[in-house]
Amino acid sequence: MKITLTVNDEAYPLDVEPRRVLADALRDDCGLTGTHLGCEQGVCGACTVLVDGEAVRSCLLLAVQCDGVPIRTVEGLAGADGEPHPLQRAFSAERGLQCGFCTPGFLMLAAGALERDPALGEEEVAALVGSNLCRCTGYEPIRRAIMRAARDHRNGQEA
Amino acid sequence: MVDRWLRREDERLLTGAGRFVADLRVPGCLDAVFVRSEVAHGVLREADCSAARETPGVAGAWSAADLPGLPPMPDTRQGEATREWPSLVKNRVRYPGEALAVVLGDDRYRAEDGAGRVLVRIDPLPAVVTAEEAAGDEVRLFDGLSNVALHGEAGQPIDDEVWERAAVVVESDYRQQLLMPSPMECRTILCVPEGDRLTVWSGHQAPHRLRSDLARLLGRPEKSIRVVVPDTGGAFGSKSAVFPEFIVVAWLAERLGRPVRWIEDRRESLLVATRGRGQDQHVRLAADADGRLVAYELTVEADVGAYPHLGVAFPMQTAWMATGPYTTPQVHATVRSVLTNTMMTYPYRGAGRPEATSPLERTMDVLARRLDLDPAELRRRNLIPPEQFPYRTPTGRVYDSGDHLAALDLALRTLDYDGWRAEQARRRADPGALPVGVGLSCYVERSGGERGSLHDYVGVEAGEDGGVVARCGASSSGQSHATVFPALVAETLGVDPARVRLVEGDTDELPGGVGSFGSRSAQIDGAGLQHAATLLIEEARERAARMWDLPVEETAWSDGAVHPVRGTAAMGLSELVKRTGPLRIDERYEADMAFPFGTHAAVVEVDPDLGTVRVLRLVAVDDCGRALDPAVVRGQAFGSVVQGLGQALYEGVPFGDDGVPVLGNGLLDYLLPTYAEIPPIELGETRTPTPRTPLGAKGAGESGCIGTPPAIVNAVADALRLDHPDRLQMPLTPDVVWRAAA
Ligand code: FES
Ligand code: FES
Repeated sequence: MKITLTVNDEAYPLDVEPRRVLADALRDDCGLTGTHLGCEQGVCGACTVLVDGEAVRSCLLLAVQCDGVPIRTVEGLAGADGEPHPLQRAFSAERGLQCGFCTPGFLMLAAGALERDPALGEEEVAALVGSNLCRCTGYEPIRRAIMRAARDHRNGQEA
Repeated sequence: MVDRWLRREDERLLTGAGRFVADLRVPGCLDAVFVRSEVAHGVLREADCSAARETPGVAGAWSAADLPGLPPMPDTRQGEATREWPSLVKNRVRYPGEALAVVLGDDRYRAEDGAGRVLVRIDPLPAVVTAEEAAGDEVRLFDGLSNVALHGEAGQPIDDEVWERAAVVVESDYRQQLLMPSPMECRTILCVPEGDRLTVWSGHQAPHRLRSDLARLLGRPEKSIRVVVPDTGGAFGSKSAVFPEFIVVAWLAERLGRPVRWIEDRRESLLVATRGRGQDQHVRLAADADGRLVAYELTVEADVGAYPHLGVAFPMQTAWMATGPYTTPQVHATVRSVLTNTMMTYPYRGAGRPEATSPLERTMDVLARRLDLDPAELRRRNLIPPEQFPYRTPTGRVYDSGDHLAALDLALRTLDYDGWRAEQARRRADPGALPVGVGLSCYVERSGGERGSLHDYVGVEAGEDGGVVARCGASSSGQSHATVFPALVAETLGVDPARVRLVEGDTDELPGGVGSFGSRSAQIDGAGLQHAATLLIEEARERAARMWDLPVEETAWSDGAVHPVRGTAAMGLSELVKRTGPLRIDERYEADMAFPFGTHAAVVEVDPDLGTVRVLRLVAVDDCGRALDPAVVRGQAFGSVVQGLGQALYEGVPFGDDGVPVLGNGLLDYLLPTYAEIPPIELGETRTPTPRTPLGAKGAGESGCIGTPPAIVNAVADALRLDHPDRLQMPLTPDVVWRAAA
């Protein structure tokens, strides 16, 4: 099937089988390998991307379901000028990553939530962190990173 | 901005620019998919790949019968080649998921299409999955050979009289359940043949070992193979070997002259990745009336999986560490390793030390109850005092250094031990309150490796451009080597860390290497890099002395430059290299093993009616000697505690009656801790540098898997006031706890 994936504001015209999973289309057809696969069954969240602003497990969606819908991946997280997203800075500052395999999923999950509600509170962040898996960090640094980014985000908007 | 990224690894990993093996694009690469056995044990009658070969997009499909020259797994033990582990099943399936055939396709979809068309017929045999069942040899994995693959012991047998005369003897049985290491990235290998070279990309802990294994198996010179480890998504011990799938992929890539890769998915990982632990244990612990330990006996029955491999001898780690941190004069540990119908057991974070710590620490708590002594006091009476180091244990270890009492005291203070004991008393007096329990665990671990792997290649080179290259045989899978090692070399040389860059994980770039496992990188490679940098300084001084026609003693080194002791004319490294030629140190650095230690403590609240456990507080006090980068060490310690929490409460591999693991729903069945399970965790440190290297670093990062599980289990037993804890076996699911409480 001929579809067009619009990823990070760029159009990727593709010819994919109906069964092709979004994650594979992003990684193999668009060459955007920042989205990782940790389970391919919707549990780990490493494959999380934003589809129409909403965080989804890209291993559970078909590419054809996303024809024409704006998609954002970790490659499109930094600003157009290359300025890192507050989340990227906060993950480094709080040591929210070790091997970095789960990281893109947590980043996109948090990015979607922050965009919807820049005033994310403790409870919302706890629920967010609890929805993906990380085997290295023990999560607490990830939680701190998201809280810090939410703070920076708010401050940035007020400034 | 200089300080935007705390680690050098961060920028690429945070922007999607990391490169894991599955991210590498090689034109014409074929994806390998394995057809796997659905039974645990059986006779393979047929694996017919003909329909698979006709599938569109399939480049080839083979069973063992189609690949007569395919080499088997290497046997790491000498003189035991009678139990062959074929890379594809020849006629006997011995573990669920064992590979029966391989299909190569243009992509994973095509290869899976083909794999679905391989016709397989297996006549099932009864399966044995516990050491006890298997040891009886009623079902044999290898005809004519016993399932018992190894007997071993550490220490001397203890006279009956000792047990008879002791004031108290506690006996208990424990199970150290099988665990899946579960790095978020499963195993990976990509083999690219080009001319007479084969480049192998793999997320791996020991690239040089992988190279030599593959060279031997493929019958080609080591130099013709290059192994590269790109970004690796965690390992925790599970990525340090060669695996049957690796052999098939490398062999086919070579035969076909085409790139082939295998990217393990989670489903196969849960079936066929290496698993850790897997011991049934019986202990006897004797003490005098004052609570001084007089004898300890540990009997280990290890279920080591279907084929003899490193896992067979690995339980000896547990035997050698059986003494723990106490002055017990007599300790005897015996090991029996038994083949079972599961994928092999293999080192998983902690590797042998959790299995030593858990039975001893759990039994210490039972003993305390029996003696009516506070568990902290019982430990205090028996911990090896600082002045007794180096300490030779009855089980053959020589502990380098330690201040166990300091770690215990810090843990008690950090936890507010007395406060929680008071709260416990309060709740015990209140029939409406849920009980709380406090659990302790004092541990000692071994880091650095065993004889034969206590060395590594290290090197430091100064360039004309003022840059410094550090090289070592370690291999990072998330441990921040690219940040930590350059910082150490820079500190030693007195130069800006930004000038130093690390090269590791590429066999073409290094004259040799051992790898990263057994908490050896900081201790061995770190000390080695410091040593190499020191040698570089010496060499620089000698060259300058010759140039300036001075005795070496008349030269000095500071801030990355050599200068005459009298006078000011300093010469930096780049100038020195320009004048005197390349300046490069290559060393094989060897050191002895070291023994990190600490105390972990837990407070839990248990609902006896529901069997639920709420961890209210965890404290982990670790001593790894000098920490190269304290924040990095803490990060690993924290993650490790969470893995320990996983073993205590959630993780395990249940088997069906047919011997197949009941993990059909993947990570919905194998319960890795999520953030919702994380209690308040507080870390503390004491610092006792190892005297065995000038650097003083001991291994770090495994402590949580060692110290945390028994602390939690002890806390639950304490909350329930169990006199005999045999019924509490990990993981402490609500069902287990409810039954124990009943
Ligand atoms: S890979 Fe999609 S949720 Fe794990
Ligand atoms: S950082 Fe390794 S899995 Fe999260």
